[in-house]
Amino acid sequence: MGKRRASFLSYKASFTFIVFVILVVFFSFFTPNHTFVGSNNIGALGKLIPDLGIISLGVGILMIAGEFDMSVASIIPVSSFVFINLLAWNVPLIITFILTLMVGIALGTINGFLVVKTGIPSFIATLGTMMFWKGVVFAASRMMPIGLRAYLEPGSTLENVLTGTIGGYFPLQFLWFLIISIVLLLFLHIHKFGNWIYVTGDNKNAARAMGINTDMVKIVSYVLVGFLCSFMSVMQTLRIESFTATQGSGYGLKAIASAVVGGTSLTGGVGSLPGILLGTLTIQILENGLILLGAPVFGINAFIGAGIVIFAILNVLAERFRTR
Amino acid sequence: MKRSKIFKIIVLVTVLSLAFIIPTLSMAKTPKKPAAGMYFRLVTHGGNDPFWAVVQKGMRDASDLLGCRADIDLCGGNLALQQKRFAEAVAMRPDGIALVINDDKAWDKPVSDAIKKGINVIGINNDDSKGAAGNARLCYIGQDDRRAGYVIARRLFAVAKRKGWYMGNLKVAAAVEVPGANYGNFRSEGIRKAMKEFGINSKLDIIDAGGLEMTTVESRITSYLIAHPNTKVLFGLGGICTDRLTSALKNAGKRPGQVVAGGFDTAPGTLSGLKTGYVEATVDQQQYLQGYFAIMTLYLMKKYGFAPNIDTGGYLVDKNNISTIQKYSPMHIR
Repeated sequence: MGKRRASFLSYKASFTFIVFVILVVFFSFFTPNHTFVGSNNIGALGKLIPDLGIISLGVGILMIAGEFDMSVASIIPVSSFVFINLLAWNVPLIITFILTLMVGIALGTINGFLVVKTGIPSFIATLGTMMFWKGVVFAASRMMPIGLRAYLEPGSTLENVLTGTIGGYFPLQFLWFLIISIVLLLFLHIHKFGNWIYVTGDNKNAARAMGINTDMVKIVSYVLVGFLCSFMSVMQTLRIESFTATQGSGYGLKAIASAVVGGTSLTGGVGSLPGILLGTLTIQILENGLILLGAPVFGINAFIGAGIVIFAILNVLAERFRTR
Repeated sequence: MKRSKIFKIIVLVTVLSLAFIIPTLSMAKTPKKPAAGMYFRLVTHGGNDPFWAVVQKGMRDASDLLGCRADIDLCGGNLALQQKRFAEAVAMRPDGIALVINDDKAWDKPVSDAIKKGINVIGINNDDSKGAAGNARLCYIGQDDRRAGYVIARRLFAVAKRKGWYMGNLKVAAAVEVPGANYGNFRSEGIRKAMKEFGINSKLDIIDAGGLEMTTVESRITSYLIAHPNTKVLFGLGGICTDRLTSALKNAGKRPGQVVAGGFDTAPGTLSGLKTGYVEATVDQQQYLQGYFAIMTLYLMKKYGFAPNIDTGGYLVDKNNISTIQKYSPMHIR
């Protein structure tokens, strides 16, 4: 029994899992009228969680590879802007969708090359590209919102597939979030490329000595983040029915926080897809649950901040168990 | 080969010459605009949101008309950054500055110092709570936020009353993007004043919507509505919160009219809410005019010393007059 517990606790995301379960149980019982598990709240969470969730998955994997991407906050509005403008130019919807995804891939590639070829710390390099692309999208859009419905009638196939519901209740956004999580889980933990990501993040020189093209590993990780940003951006644009220049604001740091809460190391080489998934779910239900509990209006951010620090401490404890 | 090269050079020289000559010719034909050579700057606390995009459009249209140059600083609610931008603007010695006076103390000395240096400073969008008595700014162009809050609140409470709801303990909430910012505080004051008039004794719940990001705002308003299912009247105190009201109400399982909702500005989501009946009304503070009249006033002030106070706000938009907004919204004027 004791051995089994030690084995569970030695898993990196174990504390996140325990806290996640405790939070779910706590909020389920103690929110007034059990609203946390009410159909409206579950439906709303299913619709809203994937936005940050999808970004966190990509950012978390990139962190395992030893790098950061602050530019997600700009790739999202750039993608949304391109998506709506292509529709305004009467480009067919499916081609618009594909081209928008390619924008994310292109911006991710630029980030990747910038980081690996110049040797600039990724935090600074992507902070720079974040500001650059944000400036470009502000200038191009003049910060004006653009309503989607002028160019796309409700009920398109893409909209139904990305943001519809199953049985009029289960939001497809969450299904996409789960599908992406499973694909990335296989990619990170089953495919050999996943091993390369871990080795690259843990010890780049050792990885190179093993014959791994660490530059390629990092560039692919950045491309993945860019792709996920564009995918989420299209999903979000279809849901909120407009482009706004503020889309994605603050997502860079929130995604990093989600990954850290899920046991991802800031120095690379450590983390897991289930951990990142749990991290982003935990951060978002923490906010939701606190509001449902009636936490002081202006104190929500303080609770979330404290929660992140506590998770970081718990992960250090988990690391000690792991290395015992 | 040689002839071909010479030909290419001739073509290149011709094209370059035309590129320089044509604009010069067109400039020569255009009469000099009245404010040519002047430079004005708008220093604001605004963010990269739809509201300020329209202010910017007004500013640009006026400066194009007058032939002057103008820039706008958007400081995202960061007062320290806004003060830095103001100091930089003063150092540039422009022909006038329009400033969002979003703090009753912080702007007293900077504005007074700038005016002493001979730079005209006017207030836009937000004013000192004591007006001219509280700040040396030369005039103010913008909406009276207290009055705007009062106007929209009266409209929503009147609808609630018509529905036969008991007003004494009516549950009223207001979501704000930047808690503590003057716009939210002043609009809330207007709402509270209307609450008293309608005999509503409950307190106004303020929802911290968590910033300018749409999903966060929607998520927080949704959570609040689910936690407080007895909410009857809901305000968005800013444009982004009002934009997200409809989605949040839908997420919380509310039908149109089940919660009487309204707020400020005319973002796409707000217009959609007005059409579907989730949003009862919204106040258009006609912020285009704040950018437009800021430039016009600074020009007239520089040239003739005019200093008019202009109230741009309080225009109530509902399903009956939404067509005007929809007509001009794509042009980023309303």
